[in-house]
Amino acid sequence: NANKIKRTPDAKKSISLPVSRVRLIMKSSPDVSSINQDALFLTTKATELFVQHLALSSFNNGSGKDSNTLEYSDLAKTTEENETFHFLTDILPKKILARDYLKTLEQMQEEEEEADL
Amino acid sequence: MASSSGNDDDLTIPRAAINKMIKETLPNVRVANDARELVVNCCTEFIHLISSEANEICNKSDKKTISPEHVINALESLGFASYITEVKDVLQECKTVALKRRKASSRLENLGIPEEELLRQQQELFAKARQQQAELAQQEWLQVQQAAQQAQMAAASASAAQQAGSSQDEDEEDDL
Repeated sequence: NANKIKRTPDAKKSISLPVSRVRLIMKSSPDVSSINQDALFLTTKATELFVQHLALSSFNNGSGKDSNTLEYSDLAKTTEENETFHFLTDILPKKILARDYLKTLEQMQEEEEEADL
Repeated sequence: MASSSGNDDDLTIPRAAINKMIKETLPNVRVANDARELVVNCCTEFIHLISSEANEICNKSDKKTISPEHVINALESLGFASYITEVKDVLQECKTVALKRRKASSRLENLGIPEEELLRQQQELFAKARQQQAELAQQEWLQVQQAAQQAQMAAASASAAQQAGSSQDEDEEDDL
């Protein structure tokens, strides 16, 4: 809006994630109406801390430490083992090989057949 | 990548910002591409989680707007209490910046120049600048036109001179 006097950005030094995007994501949550500006900054900061927490936890507890690589499986593992990360389970389908899946399926079928006997 | 439902679900933190954060957190560590993608999506999920919880806490209180307090309580109840200290620092910074801004604007007011007046002056400056730009553009256009005219006249007189002396030139050429 050309009529507003441009203000210098506030509290941006300690925040690196884009606050405007965080706001959009928050607003897309059902029922969320209005958010105080400071609350928005807090949520943004918390999200940054979350990224750091997730990355560190996954790397330190995962197999990637030996190969110096952070893999998808490291993230999946830490999500499973860390209760605070359980909310991520739905977006983290464990990637499995097709042949492993088929094997599991076969096993399940065998178990069912044994149960029927 | 296929998007599941409506546009809202495609909202994520920009990949570059996440990459930067991961790099700062795990310097010199290689990160698989699908791992990066996952972190991006986890962020969105986290934001939804905090928003929903804070919203519920807000609804239970008598407030209509989600406040910093609601967010802090949400972090606590969701098991992210370890974030609270650093998050509170940001809150302190916000308050300091807001305080500075209020002081700054009151200082301006003490100069006798309230915000409305500054706005008016700004508009005036813009209008002046626009006018100057327009005048400059017009001048330039006139100059271009003049130059074009002169070029035309020069060309016209040159060809006239050529015609007048053309018979002379033909004689000279025959001699070569």
